[in-house]
Amino acid sequence: MERAVPLAVPLGQTEVFQALQRLHMTIFSQSVSPCGKFLAAGNNYGQIAIFSLSSALSSEAKEEILHFSLAHDGPVYSMVSTDRHLLSAGDGEVKAWLWAEMLKKGCKELWRRQPPYRTSLEVPEINALLLVPKENSLILAGGDCQLHTMDLETGTFTRVLRGHTDYIHCLALRERSPEVLSGGEDGAVRLWDLRTAKEVQTIEVYKHEECSRPHNGRWIGCLATDSDWMVCGGGPALTLWHLRSSTPTTIFPIRAPQKHVTFYQDLILSAGQGRCVNQWQLSGELKAQVPGSSPGLLSLSLNQQPAAPECKVLTAAGNSCRVDVFTNLGYRAFSLSF
Amino acid sequence: MSSESSKKRKPKVIRSDGAPAEGKRNRSDTEQKCLSPLAMILRPPQLCGTEGKYYSEEAEVDLRDPGRDYELYKYTCQELQRLMAEIQDLKSRGGKDVAIEIEERRIQSCVHFMTLKKLNRLAHIRLKKGRDQTHEAKQKVDAYHLQLQNLLYEVMHLQKEITKCLEFKSKHEEIDLVSLEEFYKEAPPDISKAEVTMGDPHQQTLARLDWELEQRKRLAEKYRECLSNKEKILKEIEVKKEYLSSLQPRLNSIMQASLPVQEYLFMPFDQAHKQYETARHLPPPLYVLFVQATAYGQACDKTLSVAIEGSVDEAKALFKPPEDSQDDESDSDAEEEQTTKRRRPTLGVQLDDKRKEMLKRHPLSVMLDLKCKDDSVLHLTFYYLMNLNIMTVKAKVTTAMELITPISAGDLLSPDSVLSCLYPGDHGKKTPNPANQYQFDKVGILTLSDYVLELGHPYLWVQKLGGLHFPKEQPQQTVIADHSLSASHMETTMKLLKTRVQSRLALHKQFASLEHGIVPVTSDCQYLFPAKVVSRLVKWVTVAHEDYMELHFTKDIVDAGLAGDTNLYYMALIERGTAKLQAAVVLNPGYSSIPPVFQLCLNWKGEKTNSNDDNIRAMEGEVNVCYKELCGPWPSHQLLTNQLQRLCVLLDVYLETESHDDSVEGPKEFPQEKMCLRLFRGPSRMKPFKYNHPQGFFSHR
Repeated sequence: MERAVPLAVPLGQTEVFQALQRLHMTIFSQSVSPCGKFLAAGNNYGQIAIFSLSSALSSEAKEEILHFSLAHDGPVYSMVSTDRHLLSAGDGEVKAWLWAEMLKKGCKELWRRQPPYRTSLEVPEINALLLVPKENSLILAGGDCQLHTMDLETGTFTRVLRGHTDYIHCLALRERSPEVLSGGEDGAVRLWDLRTAKEVQTIEVYKHEECSRPHNGRWIGCLATDSDWMVCGGGPALTLWHLRSSTPTTIFPIRAPQKHVTFYQDLILSAGQGRCVNQWQLSGELKAQVPGSSPGLLSLSLNQQPAAPECKVLTAAGNSCRVDVFTNLGYRAFSLSF
Repeated sequence: MSSESSKKRKPKVIRSDGAPAEGKRNRSDTEQKCLSPLAMILRPPQLCGTEGKYYSEEAEVDLRDPGRDYELYKYTCQELQRLMAEIQDLKSRGGKDVAIEIEERRIQSCVHFMTLKKLNRLAHIRLKKGRDQTHEAKQKVDAYHLQLQNLLYEVMHLQKEITKCLEFKSKHEEIDLVSLEEFYKEAPPDISKAEVTMGDPHQQTLARLDWELEQRKRLAEKYRECLSNKEKILKEIEVKKEYLSSLQPRLNSIMQASLPVQEYLFMPFDQAHKQYETARHLPPPLYVLFVQATAYGQACDKTLSVAIEGSVDEAKALFKPPEDSQDDESDSDAEEEQTTKRRRPTLGVQLDDKRKEMLKRHPLSVMLDLKCKDDSVLHLTFYYLMNLNIMTVKAKVTTAMELITPISAGDLLSPDSVLSCLYPGDHGKKTPNPANQYQFDKVGILTLSDYVLELGHPYLWVQKLGGLHFPKEQPQQTVIADHSLSASHMETTMKLLKTRVQSRLALHKQFASLEHGIVPVTSDCQYLFPAKVVSRLVKWVTVAHEDYMELHFTKDIVDAGLAGDTNLYYMALIERGTAKLQAAVVLNPGYSSIPPVFQLCLNWKGEKTNSNDDNIRAMEGEVNVCYKELCGPWPSHQLLTNQLQRLCVLLDVYLETESHDDSVEGPKEFPQEKMCLRLFRGPSRMKPFKYNHPQGFFSHR
């Protein structure tokens, strides 16, 4: 849509380096501020950028990026927002930032925590963060195949949930009962009871013939849940599961591995390899495919903060330096760029 | 009338018939007898008496009184009327005696007729006489009139002469004489003669004129004296000049004689002196360059040698008549106008000539030879385009040893590209002087780039070395050669030039082995790679810019503006087994400070590029973004080969860590030989591309 005209001027050393950096940038994570007006995005260079959604969406459409800072040494794989803080994680550490200060330059992290890892040659990464509002705790999961619960009040790590045999890609919270779902490279979706800290259920997706795709691998890349329903995708096909009966009910016909999935009203939104954000009916019909600007998407974020109804947008980011903004689900309005 | 004329003729006939005067007299004699007393009156008595011999009516006329003739005429007419009436009366009465009476009366009337005839003749004669008299009188009057006219003319002429004389101006009035008082004061008394001249202005003027003449004579004498004086001085000068010119060869011979001494003492005093002498004829920018380069060479860099080339005489000729050249310009302008009017077909030729004139180089050029460590030399020839006021450079690289030129290295050392983009964006194809564009418009040159091969490249740094500074915003500002500008750029530029030549030479050597499928990795870069690398480079070729743009997997680079036409483009093919990795390489002219950029396309189990495989994207990132760890020791001439070797390693890792498809029977094509901590990591399932040196395992970045 907005193909940049190739610049005629040859570039100097720093310009070339910056252009290459932008070209090879991957945005892994996004999080909307509690006020709903700002969007934080983290990339593979460990930078976090704060975009102002409200000013980008206003009629003037002025300066979108507020500022960005080098937050982590490695990529920023996951971010969540509490009512005051932005929590970001990637290279084995979780860092907390005050939203109120993030908007200023030279902001320092509020605190940083590292879960107790069993020593290893390399520090395992944190792929997923999940807030459990009821007990005011944070669940971290990633490279060490375990789920760590951290009490946000005290900052101590309270529990370790072990069971995965390979690293964990994603987490999802069942809102009614204190149960957490996790999906990982080993191809299993595990259901954990937080009270007992025990694994209650295991669904090994790749073992179900309907959805297994051995050439893509077993890994579960994305996961979302809504009451008794769970949708997961990755190496195996994107599938809707009924949790109580552990049976796949709908298999969504898409070949590309999906990296992010979420329920939205009576739709399922998914994104992965390919330019498009897919919208599915629960019955398995493809309702729409909305093209974005990146060749592959890694994260979707729905801004549903009640504080800023005017900023109710869907943002998608992935293998480019741009965050696509969809003002309604039908088309990409514009892109925010690092 | 007719009756009258017939009447007139009749007497004449009679007269001519009766020519002899005697007969006439006789007749009249006989007539007299039968004349009536009345008829006798007609005859003047004098006539008969005085001129007895012949009868002349002309003479008679003078004697007769016209009044009386008139009375006679009246009387005769009355008589005739009476007689006629009587005859008529008699005839009407009729009778015998009537006839006699009628006869009588008829005779009487005949007499009267005669009288009438006579009177008629007299009247004619009188008329003729009167006419003659009148004519005579008229002629007299005419003669008098003519005489009067002559006299009047004479009077007028004389009057004119008088006025002419009155208006005559003497020449002496134009002569500016000395004033009266001065005249009396200065003139000697024998000329002024005050006593005579004081009262008589004529004499006074004459005297003043005399004095003037006297004075002029004296001045002429003086003038002649001065002339001869001047002649004498000129001769003296000539003699002195001759002496001086005879001195020159003697001095020269002394100089010549001293040369061996100079050489013996290692003092290239004379040579330097000569060069400085030549340098005086350099145009200002080249002079600045020459001075600064020489200074820099002497102070900082002994490997830099500076020389001046070209004909000094031509340069001298250029500078001698500066006014003439200006005239030529205006003339040529006028000429141009005329020729466009007159000769349209030769317009093209004219334009061609104008273009040549505009692009003319100064006959002198400055040669810089920059010697690098390995004895290769960069020859730079700097030219100055006089009419455009810009400098250009031509470059040539010579190496100590003969180089075998690999096919793909064709452009590396070509004069056209070896110095391209020495500073970012300085491709030397556009003129740096904004004013030039206006000049080009006049003669129809679109861009300078068409002439660059012939003229040399007008790089910005060349202008700066020559002290020429062209502001972007003010095209009309005068451009003055500035020493400080040149000096401030000399060192950096010289260093950049050296680095450029060395990196090009290094590339040149590397390409030779790349073409044979060998990626040369020097020992000091060995630690960057594992000992065993299975993937091999099989092809290394140049590709055209257009072909690169058309490749399907290079769109991102093109869109990011990294694929300008000043870059060099190559295509590498790396193979391992059935897997073929194509790498499109953009080599920036600023290599190796600006890294080459790789775009990959893997053909193995389908086509994989950065748009459908995150790990290919990661591999590109590894070579393009993390190039700094591949630079090797300064000045990082090994960057390109290290990047290629790194690509081989990355391909190994990629292939070996590819997850085994459970459904496919048989062994993996690429067994995992590399030591890896983990196969995948992170949401995008990256492979462990990072090599950890002493331990030799692969991990994630």
